[in-house]
Amino acid sequence: MELDDEKMQVDDGIDEISPMTLGHYYQHLFPHALYYKWLNYNGKLATTEYTHREFSFTIKDGIYLRYQSFKDSEEFQRELSRLSPSKIDIGAIFTAPPKHAKSLQPGVFKPVSKELVFDIDMTDYDEIRTCCQGGDICAKCWRFMTVAMHVLDRALREDFGFTKIMWAYSGRRGVHCWVCDERARKLDDPGRKAVAGYLSLIRGGAEQAKKVNLSQRNAQHPHIVRSLEIVEEYFEDVLLVDQEILLTRDRWTKVLNALPDEELRKIMDAQWSKRPDRSSVDKWSELIDAVDKRAAKKGSKFGLSTFERDLMLQMTYPRLDENVTTHVNHLLKSPFCIHPKTGRVCTPIAADQFDSFDPFAVPTLAQLLREVNEAPVHSGSAAKSTSMAPYIGVFEDFVSTVLPTPTGSQPSLDF
Amino acid sequence: MFNQRAVKKEGYPGEQTAVPEVVRRSRYPCRLSMYSDAPDVEVSIEEFETFALDRLQVLRAIEDAQLRAKGEDDMRKRVNEALEKHMPSHTNRSKLPPRQLVGERRKDHVSHFILRLAFSRTEELRGWFLRYECALLKHRFQNADLAEKQELLSSAQLRLAHLSPADRGAKLGNASSFYAQQEQLFEVDFERVLDLVGRSQVVLRAGRAFVPQSEVATLLIHEFRHTLTQALSVCAKALPQMGEDERLLPVLQNLSNQTARSEYQSTGAAGAVTAESVVGLSDSFPLCMQHLHSQLARDHHLRHGGRMQLGLFLKGIGLGLQDALVFWRRAFSAMTDDQFQKGYAYNIRHNYGMEGKRADYTPYSCHRVIMSNPPGPGDHHGCPFRHFSSERLRAALHKDSLPDPEVREVADLAQAGHYQVACTRHLELRLLHRRQNNQPQPDADIRLSAVTSPNQYFDLCLGCTKPAPPAAGADTASTAAAILSGAPKAAAAIY
Repeated sequence: MELDDEKMQVDDGIDEISPMTLGHYYQHLFPHALYYKWLNYNGKLATTEYTHREFSFTIKDGIYLRYQSFKDSEEFQRELSRLSPSKIDIGAIFTAPPKHAKSLQPGVFKPVSKELVFDIDMTDYDEIRTCCQGGDICAKCWRFMTVAMHVLDRALREDFGFTKIMWAYSGRRGVHCWVCDERARKLDDPGRKAVAGYLSLIRGGAEQAKKVNLSQRNAQHPHIVRSLEIVEEYFEDVLLVDQEILLTRDRWTKVLNALPDEELRKIMDAQWSKRPDRSSVDKWSELIDAVDKRAAKKGSKFGLSTFERDLMLQMTYPRLDENVTTHVNHLLKSPFCIHPKTGRVCTPIAADQFDSFDPFAVPTLAQLLREVNEAPVHSGSAAKSTSMAPYIGVFEDFVSTVLPTPTGSQPSLDF
Repeated sequence: MFNQRAVKKEGYPGEQTAVPEVVRRSRYPCRLSMYSDAPDVEVSIEEFETFALDRLQVLRAIEDAQLRAKGEDDMRKRVNEALEKHMPSHTNRSKLPPRQLVGERRKDHVSHFILRLAFSRTEELRGWFLRYECALLKHRFQNADLAEKQELLSSAQLRLAHLSPADRGAKLGNASSFYAQQEQLFEVDFERVLDLVGRSQVVLRAGRAFVPQSEVATLLIHEFRHTLTQALSVCAKALPQMGEDERLLPVLQNLSNQTARSEYQSTGAAGAVTAESVVGLSDSFPLCMQHLHSQLARDHHLRHGGRMQLGLFLKGIGLGLQDALVFWRRAFSAMTDDQFQKGYAYNIRHNYGMEGKRADYTPYSCHRVIMSNPPGPGDHHGCPFRHFSSERLRAALHKDSLPDPEVREVADLAQAGHYQVACTRHLELRLLHRRQNNQPQPDADIRLSAVTSPNQYFDLCLGCTKPAPPAAGADTASTAAAILSGAPKAAAAIY
C-alpha cells in the first residue's frame, strides 16, 4: 500500500474531521476485511446476512441516509470513499436489500434478524454522578461503565448462554454491546424486550426517588445475587470515595429522599448539617448504622432492612436504554467509526479489559493520520503501525469466534 | 386414553360419574380448547352472528374488568358473570344433558374462529383480540379442575420433562433455593417463557429457563399466544378472499367496529388551538400532561419520550403543525434556530405525517402511557398515578387545592394499581370543586366513565368548565349537564 504520494501535510487540516480526513481513515485505517467477515457471518462469498443488511450514513450537514445496502465489501468501500460519512449506523438484516425497499410492496420488506444490542449512556447517570454532566466524562465516572460491563457480560454469558459478545466504546460517553450469537440475532421484539426487562433494575423517572425496589423473592434471584456481589466490590470506591455522593447537602438530600422513613430522614439531615464536612464514607456508615438500628426496632415491613442493598444497586447497577434493545430494526453506531464530537475511534473493548480500558487513551483521527504520515512505508496494513493496532487485535479475536468453524487451513486474517 | 378414564372411577378428586358416553364420542370431549383446528361444522347465518357477538361481549367484559376490578377475586367474579351470561360452559361432571354440553363447546369453538377472522384485519385489532383471548384462556385454565388442566396440557403438546432432583442440584446449584423445595421444575428454552424471563420470575442457566409447576399456565398461554399470532397473520391474508360471500363480510366488519376504540377521536372542544393558547388550556390537561408542560417550561427542554407524549396530545386537542413548530421553538428557548431545525423540527413534522412513511400518528391512549415505554432516569413522561412515588403524587394532588381526604382517596386508588380510575376520580373531584364554586351543592357528586385517553380527559374537563353561552348554546349546556350528572349515555358518546 503506497502512501508516499498521499501523505498529508502537517498543516493540511489534519486536525479537522472533514470528508478529506475521514476519506483517508476509511481508505487506510478502517479494518474492512475483518468488518466484512463479521457482518457476513461467513467466508468470502457474500450472503444475505451482508447484502440485506441496512446501514445508514450521516453526511455533510447532518443529512441522514437510511436504507443503504451493499452487495459486497468493495461496494461498501466505494460508497464510503464517495460519501465520507461522519457517522455509520448498523441496522437489521431485512427480507430484501434495503436499497430496494421503496420499490417493494408494503408489508414485503420486513426486518428478519439483527444482533442483540445494548447501549449504556453516561447521561443516564447524570442524577448520580457529581464529577461531570451531559457529554463530559472523566476517569472517575467512567467506572460506572466498568461496573455495567461486568454485570451485563456475566449475565449474558452465564444466564443466557451467549458467547459471541463484543463490547465497544461509543467514542464519547458510553459503551455498546453487540451479542452476535445466532440465537440472539433471531430474537423478535418481545424476546428482546424480555431480555432487557430481565437485565433492568432501575425503574422510575425523574419523580421517583427510590428506583430499585426489590421484593424478598426478587432479591434471591441468582442474577440479582451475583450483580449485588459485583456492585459491592465497586460501590465504596466509586460512589463514596470518587463521587463523594454525601458530601454536600444537595447531594445527601437526594439519597435521603429514598429513605422510606421520614423521621429518620430529618434526623440524618440534622446530624450531617451540624458537621457537613465529613467524608461520604463516614456518613454512609453512619447512615447504615442508623438504618439498621431502626430496622431492628421497627421490624422488616418498613423497607429499612433492604435499604442499603436497594440503594447500592440504584447507584451502581447498569442503566440501560431499553428502547435500543427492544426493537429489531433499531440502528446503532458501528464500531470503528469516528465520533464526530471527539474524533475518537469507536473501538472494541475485550472482555478482560473492562477494568483497564481507558477511554482517554483511545486514538483520535488526527493522531492516527499523523502516525500514518510518520510511519515507515511497508507492505501490509497501515493500521498495524499505529495506535489502532491493539484494538484491531481485539476485533480480530472477536471475529474469529464469530466465523463458522473452518473447513480448511485458516489463512492469516488481513486487516 | 378416553377408554382408560371411563373405566377408572377413582383418581380424580370429586369425580362421581364417568364422562357421558355421548360427550366422549362427540367432537368436543373436553371443555377447554387451544383452538388449534378450524371448525368443520355448519352454522346458520344467525348463529354466525350471535355466537360471535356473545363471545365479543365476554372479551369486552374482560377488558372492562381489567380496568375496574378490585383484586383477583373481583376479577374472577366479573369474568365468570360475563361467561355465565353470554357463553356458559360446564364441565363433564355436571349433570347437564350431553347435547347441551356439546352445544356450549361448539359455540365456543366456532365463535373463536369467527372473531379470529373479524379481528385479523389490522394490527391494532389483532393485538386487541390476542390480548383478551389469552386473558380468557388464562382465566378458564386457572379456574378449571385438575382433570381439565391435565387434558389441556397434554393436548397442547408442550413437550415438557420434569427435572429430577439430581439434575436439579447439578444444573442449578445454590440457585435451586429460588424455588420451593418441593416444587417440580421443567427445563425449557428461555424463549418459551418470555413473560417470566422479563419479570425475573425464573432462573436462567445457559439459555435454559427453569419453570416451576405453578407457572405451567404461563408456558401454556405463551404457546397459545405464539400460535394465535401466527394464525392471525394467516387469516389477514385470507380475508380478501372472503369477499365472495356477501353475507359474511358486513357481519365481520360490524364485529370489529364494536370494540372500545383505543384511538380516541377528539371532539374539537377547544376550537382552534394556537401556540399562545396552550398555556391557558393547560388547566384542563390531565395530570400527566400538566406535569410534562410544567417541566418543559422549567427546563426549556424535554426528552424524547416526553416530547412524543405531550406533542401528540397537543396535536389531538387541535394544535396544528405550524403552531406546534412555533410552540416548541419557543419552549426550547435555550437553543439556536439551527439546532432546533436539525434536531427537533423534523420529528415534529414526522408526528404530523409530513415526513418519512407519512403515518399520521395518533395521540397515546392511557393504556399506552401506562404500559409502554416506562420512564427512565431524567424522564418526565408516563402516568403520574403509576410512575410517581406515592409522596410525589400526593404533593402534585395537593397543588390542586384538594382537601386531604380526597387526596388520600385518589392516592389509594393509584397505590392499588387502578391508575385510570384514580385519574378519573381526580377529574371528578376537580370538576366538582369548580362547579361548587359557582353553585354550591353539598351532597353532589360526579361520576364519569373511566378515562381511557388524555385527550378524552381534556375534552371532558373542558366541556364542563366552559361557561354555557347565554341563549344559543343550549346544546353545550345540556351535554355538560349530562356529563356532570354522570349520565352514562352522554359519557359513552364521548368515547
